[in-house]
Amino acid sequence: MPLLKAEGVTAGYGDTEILRDVHLEVGEGEIVSLIGPNGAGKSTLMKTVFGLVHPRQGSIRFRDTEIAGRSPYDIVKEGMCYVPQVANVFVQLTVEENLEMGGYLLEERELAGRKEQVYELFPKLRERRRQRAGKMSGGERQMVAIGSALMLEPALLLLDEPSAGLSPKLVDEIFENIRRINATGLAVLMVEQNARKSLEMAERGYVLAGGQNRVEGSGAELLNDPDVARLYLGG
Amino acid sequence: MSMSDEAAAVTRQRRPAERIRAVVQTRAFLLVAVVALFIVLVALAIHQGVGASRLLSLAAWGVMLGGIIGLGSIGLTLVYGVLKFPNFSHGALVTFGAYFTYAFMAWLPESAPLRPLSFGWTFPVALVLSMPLVGLVALAVDRVVYRRLRRQNAHLVLFAMASLAMAFFLRSVIYIVWGPDFHFFFPGRANPALELPFNIRVRADQVFILLLALAIMAGLYVLLERTRIGKAMRATADNPELAQVRGINTERVIAWTWLLGGALAAAGGTMYGLSSQLRPEMGFWLLLPMFAAAIMGGIGNPYGALVGALVIGVTHQVSTAFLDPTYGPAVAFVLMVIVLLVRPQGLFGREGG
Amino acid sequence: METLVLVKAMLLFVPLALAFGLVLPARAWRPLAAVVVGAVVALAAAAGLSAGLLAYGVSFAIMGCVYALLALGLNTQWGYTGHLNFGVAGFFAVGAFTSALVTIEAPTGVAAQYTQMAFGLNMPFLVGVLAAAVVSGVVAFLIAVPVLRLRMDFLAIATIGVAEIIRLIFQNERWLANGPQPLRGIPQPMHCLVEANGCGWAPGWLNGALSVLSPRDYPLFYLVIIAVFVALVYVVIERACRSPWGRMLRAVRDEESSAAMNGKPITYVRIQSFVVGAVIMGIAGALYAHYTVTIDYSHFHALFATFLVWVMLMLGGSGNNRGAIIGGFIVWGVWSGTAFLADAIEPLLALISDDLPRRAAYFRWLLVALLLAGIVLFRPQGLLREEKVVSRYLRD
Repeated sequence: MPLLKAEGVTAGYGDTEILRDVHLEVGEGEIVSLIGPNGAGKSTLMKTVFGLVHPRQGSIRFRDTEIAGRSPYDIVKEGMCYVPQVANVFVQLTVEENLEMGGYLLEERELAGRKEQVYELFPKLRERRRQRAGKMSGGERQMVAIGSALMLEPALLLLDEPSAGLSPKLVDEIFENIRRINATGLAVLMVEQNARKSLEMAERGYVLAGGQNRVEGSGAELLNDPDVARLYLGG
Repeated sequence: MSMSDEAAAVTRQRRPAERIRAVVQTRAFLLVAVVALFIVLVALAIHQGVGASRLLSLAAWGVMLGGIIGLGSIGLTLVYGVLKFPNFSHGALVTFGAYFTYAFMAWLPESAPLRPLSFGWTFPVALVLSMPLVGLVALAVDRVVYRRLRRQNAHLVLFAMASLAMAFFLRSVIYIVWGPDFHFFFPGRANPALELPFNIRVRADQVFILLLALAIMAGLYVLLERTRIGKAMRATADNPELAQVRGINTERVIAWTWLLGGALAAAGGTMYGLSSQLRPEMGFWLLLPMFAAAIMGGIGNPYGALVGALVIGVTHQVSTAFLDPTYGPAVAFVLMVIVLLVRPQGLFGREGG
Repeated sequence: METLVLVKAMLLFVPLALAFGLVLPARAWRPLAAVVVGAVVALAAAAGLSAGLLAYGVSFAIMGCVYALLALGLNTQWGYTGHLNFGVAGFFAVGAFTSALVTIEAPTGVAAQYTQMAFGLNMPFLVGVLAAAVVSGVVAFLIAVPVLRLRMDFLAIATIGVAEIIRLIFQNERWLANGPQPLRGIPQPMHCLVEANGCGWAPGWLNGALSVLSPRDYPLFYLVIIAVFVALVYVVIERACRSPWGRMLRAVRDEESSAAMNGKPITYVRIQSFVVGAVIMGIAGALYAHYTVTIDYSHFHALFATFLVWVMLMLGGSGNNRGAIIGGFIVWGVWSGTAFLADAIEPLLALISDDLPRRAAYFRWLLVALLLAGIVLFRPQGLLREEKVVSRYLRD
C-alpha cells in the first residue's frame, strides 16, 4: 500500500483550472521527484495534496485515509509535513520559536526532545536559536523551514523547490540534507528546478506539463529518456 | 575600469532625492521628528505662561492616558496583524467595556471607597467580569460577520466596511440600552490629588490606572512570549498560511485574538470611564488615537502599539496646556500623519517593509 | 387656483422628467417617454396631492438629491478608483460652510456679537457653490498627496480622522463660523421669485405668473435647481468615466501594476479622482447649506454624512452612477421611513422599559447598520452591477 495516492485530481484557483486528472503515488521511505516546466502545476499539486487548495474532483489518500477537502492543520496530524517554496519561516519569531510552532501539536514534554533531534541534524540552528528567522540567510532559513517540518516526525515530507535561490554550494548542502533525512526512513516528495540533480537522488519521478501527467518512471529511466532530457532537463 | 565597477559607481552616486528619502525613512529620523514636535508643543506651552510643574503634571497624566490608549490599541493591532484589516468597530468595544463595568457595579453591592482611591472593591470585580464579556461580544461579531467574509475570501475593503457597519451597530445598541446621557462610575465622589515630588499633582485613581495598565501589559508579555497560544498568535499574525501548514488551527487562534483584544479594550474603556465619564461616543473618540498608536508602533506589534500610545498620550496632554482638550484626536492625527509620511511601517516595523 | 396648479406642475415637471429619464430603460423612446410621463405625473401630483403631502415629497426629494450627489462623489472615489473614503462628512461640511461664508453678508453692530464669522462676502449663490467645490477639492488634495501613495486601509483611517477634525474645528472655533452656535441666514437662490414684490431682474410676466406662489412654495424652486445640478454632475461623470481617463481609473483600480507598466502615472491619476469626488461632495454641501438656511457642526455627524452615503452606494452598486443616485433615494427613503417606524414602536417599547421610547430613534441606526452589513455579506455588488461596457465604441 502506498503512503500517498492521488487519483484523478482536478484543481485550480477561481475560474482557472490548473490541474486536470492528475495522479501521483509515494511509497514508504521513497524519494519522489516532481519535475516539469514553469506553470506545469507542480506547486499547485503540492498545495492540493496539503489542503491549501481544495481539489474539485479526485481523491487523495494518505495511509488509506481520504484527506481531500480537509484543512492543512488537520492533514498535518496524519503525519505529513510541507515546506512551502517562499515565506516558509515565521520571520518575526526566533529560530527556537519557529521549531516550537513546527511542533505545535506536540505535548510540552515531547517538544524538548524533538528540538534536540532537529538541532543534532542542523547544529547551526542550535547556535542561532535565539535569533529572529527574518535576520537569517536564505540557506539558514531553508534549514529552519525543513527543521520545523521535521518536528512532528512525519512519514512524508513535501518540499517545494528547496534549492530555489540558493548558491551552488548551498544547493549541494540542501540535497545532502534531504538524503540524510530520507535515510532515517522518511519519504520525500519534492518539486525541483534542479531536475537532473533531484532525479539522480529520486527513486521515482513524475513529469508534469500543462497540468497533466506526461511521463513517469524511476529516476534513472527518466534521466535516460531522450524525450524527457530534451524537453525538461535542458538538453 | 570594468563594466561591473562602472555599474557599482553609478549605484553609489544615487540621486539626491533618493538619498534624502533613505535618510528620512530611518527609525532615527522618525524619532527626531516626533521629539521635535514635542519640543514645539512644550515651547508653545511655556510661551503661553504654563509653569514647569504643571507641564510635569500634564506629562504624568499623559502617561496614564497613554496606558488607556495602549490597552485599546493592543487589541486593535493584534486583530490588524492577524486578520489584516483595520477594525473600525474597536472603539465600540472600548465603550462596551466601560458600560458593562458600569452595569456590573450597579448589580454588585455597594462598597466603601478604599481611600485614597475613589472606589471600593466592586470596581475591580466589575472590571474583571466585564473584560471576558466584551471579549465574547468581539468573538460573536467575528462569528456572525467576519468569519463569513473570510470564508468568501472577501477583499480587505469589505472587511473594513463591515467593521464600519458593526461600529454603528454596536454604538446604537449602547444608545438603546444606556441612553445618550453621560454616566459616572461614582457621581459626586471626590478624589483629591496627591502631592508628589516636583509639585506633580495626580489623583490616586490615575496612579491606579497606570499600575493596572502596566500589570496587564506584563501579563500580556508573558502570554505572547511564553505560552503556546501566545506564540501561535504571533505566528499567525506573521504568516497565516504557514501557521496552518504547521498544524495551527488559525480559526481558533483568531477566536483567542478577538477574546484578548476585546478584553483589553474593555479594560481600556473602563479606565477611561474612571478618569473622565461614560459617554456613548467615548470609544469613537479614542479610535483615532488607537489607530495612530498601532500605526506608529508598526501594525501587528503590540509592544510598539504601547510605545506609540505613550507618545500620543503625553503629547496630547501637553498640548492641552494651550489647546482645547477636545482636539485630542487632532493631535493624534498629526502624529499619525508624520509617521505615515516618514516611515509608514512604523517605529518597530521591518525595514523597507 | 388653476394657475397655481399649473405653475406647480411646471416646476415639478423638471425634476420628474429628469428622474424618469434616469430610471426608464435605455431605449430610443426614453427621452420622449420621460417627458410625457414626467408631465403627466407632475400634473397629477400638483392637482391631486394635498399641500402638506406635496411639501413633504418635495423636501424628501431635495434631501434625496443632496445624498445622490454625495453618492456620486463617493462613486468617483470608491466605485471607479477604489479609494476607501470614510470621511465623506468632512468634505460635505467644508462645502457647506464655505458656501455659507461666501454668500452670507457679514453681520455688523450688535448682531456681530451673536454671530461671529471669519468673513461674509455676500456673493451670489453660484459663486458660493464654486467656492465650496474649490475649497473641498483643495482639502482633498492636501490629504491625498501624503496618504494616497500608501495602502488603501491607511486612507480609510486618515479620512475618518480628517472628517472628525473638520467637525471639531467647526464646533470649537467661534471666530470661523460661529463655533458651536448655528450659522443662520444662508441666502436661498432666486428666493425673491416667491416673494410678494418679485425679483428685480426678472421680466414682469414671470413675476406676474409666479405671484400665485407664496414663500412656502419655495422648495419647489429649489428642487428644480438641485435636480439640474444632479443631472449635470451625472452627465459630466458619465462622460468622464467613458473617456480614456475613466478607463485609466479602472485600470489603476483593478490592476495597479499593469497600468503602471503601460506608463500611466498612477499616483497622479489616483489623486485626480479623489479630488474630483471631493469636489462633488463639496457641491453637495453647498446645496445642502442653501436649502436648510441654518447649519451647525452637528449636521455633519459621521452617521448622516458618511455612513448613510456608504450604505447608499453599496446598495445602489459601486461603479454605477445610476445605481448611486437610485441607491441614494432608496436609502434616504428607508431612513425617512424608519422615522415613522420609530414613532410606531414607541408604545411597544414603553412596555419594556420607561426609558426606551425616548431612545426609539436609535433603532433606526441599528437598522441601517444591519442593512450595510447585510449588503457587504450577501450582495457586495449592490442592486446594479458595474457597467462593463465603458466606451461608446465598444458597445456590442
